[in-house]
Amino acid sequence: MPDNQFGRTVDAVSRRKFLAAAGSVGAVAIAGCAENEASDSDGELSGEVVVKGSSTVYPISVQMQERFMEQHPNVNVTVDSTGSGGGFQNHFCPGDSDINGASRPIKSEEQDLCAENDVTPIEMNVAGDALTVAVSPDNDWVDCMSFDELAQIWQEGGAETWSDVNSDWPDEEFVLYGPDTTSGTFDWFTENVIGEAGNHRTDYEPTEDDNVIIEGLENDQYSIGYFGYAYYAENEDRVKALSVKEDDSSECGEPGLQAASEGTYPMARPLYIYPSEEAVQREEVYEFMKFYLENSSADWIADEVGYVPSSQDQVDENMSKLDEAAGN
Amino acid sequence: MATTDESTGSWFGADGQVSQVRGLLFKLSCLGATLLALGLVLVFLLYVFNDAVQPLTADTGWLLTFVVTLVLPAVAVGVYYYTRDTRAGEVAYTALGLPVATTLLAGGVVITFEHIVSPHAWFALALSATVAFGLVELHARTRTAGALERLAVVVLVPLLALVGVPGIAVDFPVETPLLGQELFRLSFAIPELVPSLREVILALPVLPTAAISLLLTFTLPIAAAAAWHVRRVRESDRDGAIAGGATIVAAGLGLVAAPLVDLSATTWVVLATVVALPVGLYVESVVRRDVGVSGLAFPVVVAAGALIGAFLVDALGFAGPDLWLDWDFLTSPASTTPRDAGIYPALVGSVMMLVVVAVAAFPVGVGAAVYLEEYAPNDGLLGSIVDLIEINIANLAGVPSVVYGVLGLTLFVRTAGMQSGIVMVGGLTIGLLILPIVIVSAQEAIRGVPDSLRQASYGMGATKWQTVRNVVLPRALPGIMTGTILAFGRAIGETAPLLMIGAAAVVRIPPDTFFSLFSAMPRQIFAWSKEIETEFRYGVLAAGVVTLLIVMLMMNASAILVRNKYQRQN
Repeated sequence: MPDNQFGRTVDAVSRRKFLAAAGSVGAVAIAGCAENEASDSDGELSGEVVVKGSSTVYPISVQMQERFMEQHPNVNVTVDSTGSGGGFQNHFCPGDSDINGASRPIKSEEQDLCAENDVTPIEMNVAGDALTVAVSPDNDWVDCMSFDELAQIWQEGGAETWSDVNSDWPDEEFVLYGPDTTSGTFDWFTENVIGEAGNHRTDYEPTEDDNVIIEGLENDQYSIGYFGYAYYAENEDRVKALSVKEDDSSECGEPGLQAASEGTYPMARPLYIYPSEEAVQREEVYEFMKFYLENSSADWIADEVGYVPSSQDQVDENMSKLDEAAGN
Repeated sequence: MATTDESTGSWFGADGQVSQVRGLLFKLSCLGATLLALGLVLVFLLYVFNDAVQPLTADTGWLLTFVVTLVLPAVAVGVYYYTRDTRAGEVAYTALGLPVATTLLAGGVVITFEHIVSPHAWFALALSATVAFGLVELHARTRTAGALERLAVVVLVPLLALVGVPGIAVDFPVETPLLGQELFRLSFAIPELVPSLREVILALPVLPTAAISLLLTFTLPIAAAAAWHVRRVRESDRDGAIAGGATIVAAGLGLVAAPLVDLSATTWVVLATVVALPVGLYVESVVRRDVGVSGLAFPVVVAAGALIGAFLVDALGFAGPDLWLDWDFLTSPASTTPRDAGIYPALVGSVMMLVVVAVAAFPVGVGAAVYLEEYAPNDGLLGSIVDLIEINIANLAGVPSVVYGVLGLTLFVRTAGMQSGIVMVGGLTIGLLILPIVIVSAQEAIRGVPDSLRQASYGMGATKWQTVRNVVLPRALPGIMTGTILAFGRAIGETAPLLMIGAAAVVRIPPDTFFSLFSAMPRQIFAWSKEIETEFRYGVLAAGVVTLLIVMLMMNASAILVRNKYQRQN
């Protein structure tokens, strides 16, 4: 053999030959592994459901996932928090996810993107949230703010110090904490509170992680920020929530789930999930959606997650939308 | 700085007063930098471990019991080794570390057989691979064939044994290049022609049970290797046979005894093979060399102390610490209740992703490094282009990992059409990320091979290919392995690319194929960091970080072991 110039004996398994044989066998073995035995179960529901979207809706979806999978252990439901816009843009409309959570209604450009990829979103209002504006617990000069005052603070080119908004307040610059621009919370706040006055300012501390807002508010007397009610409920002793009024003539409303469902708190907002009509045709997605909707009026939504559960009317309406889309 | 004595006028340092202030300051600032770096890391680690284990939540009685039964004896024995018998100290250190490390490894093997290859699939795979290997060997010995025939046999026999001739389906529209008008559609499908030996074995009506499959195709080869090793070092056929036989008996005992201790038979077989065998071999080697034998007492003291302590606290009713990092954490899926939350699916996901990373990045990276170092032109215009490419590869190692995430999303999900958030996409993306690191470290290793070796090889008439294969690669391999394993350490901790390719925050079912949805440990930790409840952000998160750190330390330790082993040989 030509390889023996290094004095190897022919019958010893040479390292090179071993490597060559083991290498080729190994490579093919891995190729063989790749097409693995799929675990098909006996008639039980199985498959994948991919949920993406708003970090505000995420806590509900995770609870739903856990409870659903207790009943259907073979359905692989995965839940992710990508922000409402991030979910539509990167996962839902390209057809990579089945359901997208959103803390605001879908935008028209997102609808166009979905239509391009033949994805048809179905809007379902599954819960309500009380968006909460909070300040540091050391802040003793403000208890209630109007939409107008909030807009002055948060709009582009608006006030810089507390005294700019109200001359009774200290002449100190405020430190602003808010959700990221991909967040539906940001969109809702921009649209409903700042409104026509202008754009949301960009020189604030944006974060996808609401815990960062809480920490920021706790540590700085002159800070102000906004986030979902669930985060306030968990941190009531660390930050001070402000009451909010829509305009000067209306009453101040304290944030709370009761108030949000009764309509006495002006910053109550609906939370949505958007299953796609195409995904709902798959049985596992349909079953998961059915479970989601049936449980969206349950008490644990308020007790464990900190949102306003849907009313029975909403549940019925959503169920009929779902059945219509699934063609049942 | 006042350093010299100008007044004397004599030559500098004549009066013996050379100023050492500058040197001293430099030394101190270096010391400061070291202390700062180590201190910060140490504080961070202590903080995380404290959160994960919470030792202070235990009863004082519990802590005292373990101090008396475990810590004091261990310290006493340790001091004895340190002052009287340092060689025994080394043995003690290894003898305690080896069972711990092999147990962790056994965990990895159990996960592999649980989720990646079932024992039956492994049985069929190993059996058909052995047959293929045997045929290839047989061919090499019986026929003096040309290189081409040999290549054909080496490729085709394993292919037939493991994959068979798969069915092919093509559906491809043929279009005019510019206008994109469809000319005709190439579309045909061939059903599977020849099933592979592996599939034939899997389809057999009678297969051995899972435990026996593992005993035959996992324990048996390892036992044979151990027997061979013992035969060689002790120069006795009998001792070799005893070592091999003892391993098989120890593993086979599990078929009967495993239910008695509440283990599954497969777990017993794996434990006996991966933990008991290396420990036994190590004990044998210590006894044979007869150096520091007393060090073997150390793990016994520790284990006995732990057992006595556990018995005492149970009898006296002391409550232990409020652990976050416990067995349940390692074996359960994520949950919305902090106490029930676990990392198991993410752990499996990380391991599987790493398999893809290794298979994808290692051959490509090492291949590129070999070409760049051994074959690529290094002068003239082409040489400059190669230089440019090399500089760019080094720069790619510094590109932010998010960018690789976007690249992976575009390349594998949008272009290649794979599902987002599956193990394959994650592994390939992270593979791309560490590819530059693998190439650069492999290049360094190859460059470290002395040129004189190459020249000597050429001088003996070897071709370039023979030189690279027989001289350069074997010599560079330890360096390549070390660099690659360190790169894998980075790969297992990457988060940002996983966010981009859509690895979900919460996956409750561990992936069972390379095309399943998955979550990895860093992704899971990131998800916990954003939970509302503080228990998630402190306790559960810390436990996750410690798990990830342990896996990473294991990988780095194996890199160091590989390096040391080969350095000694050289």
